[in-house]
Amino acid sequence: MQEMGFFTDTTLCIGCKACEVACKQWNQLPDDGFSLTGMSYDNTGALGASTWRHVAFVERTEPLPGQGSPRDGIEAGAGAFAELRPLGQPAPTSLLHDVAPTHLADVPAALGPSQQALGKFSWLMMSDVCKHCERAGCLEACPTGAILRTEFGSVYIQPDVCNGCGYCVSACPFGVVDRREDDGRAWKCTLCYDRLEGGMVPACAKACPTASIQFGPLEDLRERARTRVEQLRSRGVGGAHLYGESAQSQPGTEGLHAFFLLCDRPEVYGLPPDPVVPTAKIVASWRAMATGVLSLAALALGAVLSARRA
Amino acid sequence: MNEAGTDPTRESARPRDGRNVDPRLGELLGEGSAQRVRALDGPAAGRDRPAERAWDEPPADALAAPEGPSYYGQPVLKEPVWRWEIPAYFFVGGLAGASAVLGAAASLAGGEGTATLVRRCRLVAAGGAAASAVLLVRDLGRPARFLNMLRVFRPTSPMNMGTWVLTGFGALSGAAALPALVAGPRALERSAGVAAAGSAVLGLPLVGYTGVLLANTAVPVWQATRNTLPVLFAFSGAVSAGALFDLWRTPGPGGEMAHRFGLVAKGAELALSRALHREAAAVPRVERALRRGRGGFLLRTARGLLLASAVVDLLPERTWRRRHAASGALALLGTLALRFGVVAAGRASARDPHATFEPQRAGRGAAELARKEGARPRMPSPPGIDPTGKETAEHGAAP
Repeated sequence: MQEMGFFTDTTLCIGCKACEVACKQWNQLPDDGFSLTGMSYDNTGALGASTWRHVAFVERTEPLPGQGSPRDGIEAGAGAFAELRPLGQPAPTSLLHDVAPTHLADVPAALGPSQQALGKFSWLMMSDVCKHCERAGCLEACPTGAILRTEFGSVYIQPDVCNGCGYCVSACPFGVVDRREDDGRAWKCTLCYDRLEGGMVPACAKACPTASIQFGPLEDLRERARTRVEQLRSRGVGGAHLYGESAQSQPGTEGLHAFFLLCDRPEVYGLPPDPVVPTAKIVASWRAMATGVLSLAALALGAVLSARRA
Repeated sequence: MNEAGTDPTRESARPRDGRNVDPRLGELLGEGSAQRVRALDGPAAGRDRPAERAWDEPPADALAAPEGPSYYGQPVLKEPVWRWEIPAYFFVGGLAGASAVLGAAASLAGGEGTATLVRRCRLVAAGGAAASAVLLVRDLGRPARFLNMLRVFRPTSPMNMGTWVLTGFGALSGAAALPALVAGPRALERSAGVAAAGSAVLGLPLVGYTGVLLANTAVPVWQATRNTLPVLFAFSGAVSAGALFDLWRTPGPGGEMAHRFGLVAKGAELALSRALHREAAAVPRVERALRRGRGGFLLRTARGLLLASAVVDLLPERTWRRRHAASGALALLGTLALRFGVVAAGRASARDPHATFEPQRAGRGAAELARKEGARPRMPSPPGIDPTGKETAEHGAAP
């Protein structure tokens, strides 16, 4: 079976949360209690046992080409959106063009503080999900064998085997897996295993109205993602890059089956910059343990000798 | 179907599971439909643990940090979900394992004088193993499925390895303790001797593996101290065993032997707790969890208690028995505080996003592995940002 995965292009995400809703609805997950986080427009907060898609809303005090307010256009004229002007077209097609009042462009009004701030502002939105790592920390840590790799290359927790030890929760370098306290087991995105078996696209990708979430064979997705990065860079989005698309770009997980196109440092989106599967470093720890317990045995032997002499 | 079910205005009478699927219209067949829901929000749903949070630094601390960007100061990692049973198990399991080792040493030393110590060691080892099993099962989200741990043999999972070790240790230490509990034939006692030797062999990994268990996580402070934790836990187990037999006033040469064993281990543990800070301090933000909040408080308490216990040990030799009992009590509390402190520090560390970011930016993520293998360290760095996370000229804006 071909390896399938997600490519999440964050430059296309509009923060509509259709993916979150579709995921909850298809998988029949309980709601989150409709509470407000009070920290941002993000009222989901984080991925969790009952939240397998999470849309992050990043407010940046940095401009991003292609994003701005009509006011910017008035200040800078048509040049503000020049990078995104479609090929072969003389001017932007946005509402800007329709409203551009020439008398304002001639005599620019002084900007107030909030307007100035808005000019140096951009939104980044990202629909986060389980990364289905090529080398998965949760899978290697699971003491019951409840977590397995499916024929689609995804990482799947079997709810009928999981005994809720909570070790995968701490082993995940992305903070994806969580244990639901009133259920007692660990849960996370299944890559819609039931839909894939039926030849369907995962619910979130199906519901995404802007093709920000793209689903398909991993090789195709990687190819498409690289083309997209080139396209964005040529349009002036200099920070566009792929996160975890291959083992070379993310050696700690040997590549993600759900990778992302980001416009800023991963930290901005709450992603670790250089994640590593804990097991990759554990041999040193076992060795240290061997040294420790052998010195403990030596101490015990020393006690034997001292007792015999006494 | 009762009347409440047919009346739309009384829909809320049905227990809410947050799915809003009307059983008359839809079936619960989805991947998440088996998820049990008792409380939709709040502590019971595991979304928030305010009581523990109050102890530690406020999240605002993370936001105000000058270290670099984060997502509104929100944690990257999930906090460990373990409750008090797990650090308590680290203590009890360590005590049982080290007692088995000490018991084997005492029977090697031989003689009439150590017979009491040998018997008590076997009892503590067996009792500790049983208590460990109870604590571990209690902490599971689905305690009835605890035997699933033995479905597989998986060397990549320290928890799986530990379960196998504890299972073997429990069986052997139980067999070793049998003659002390029931009067039996001589053959039983001979086989008990063999079982005791076996339980000592398994007791060694039992005291040490818990350090590896913590190190094999994404929690920054545990991962960063992966070389010290197993050794520290091993010696802490030895201290607690020595201290228990001090407190229990084990008579004769056996008691003295246990005391010396504990005293040397105490010195080692004090040195190792310094080493723990030194290993973590390679990235200051990571070491912070060992100094601040509840973790810092417990670790300071542990050091203080151990030091006090060592001072009592070294006082001039009068009222020998009572002095040992006091020192034993102090050391037992100290080793208990150490386990709880290390776990609390791990929680705080998982909550701090910068503790996750900074080691990785400092080349201690996967880049560290590449360096060890001799390859050029390769940090994934987006255009405009150098590998340490600093912006270069062309970052963000259009060229």
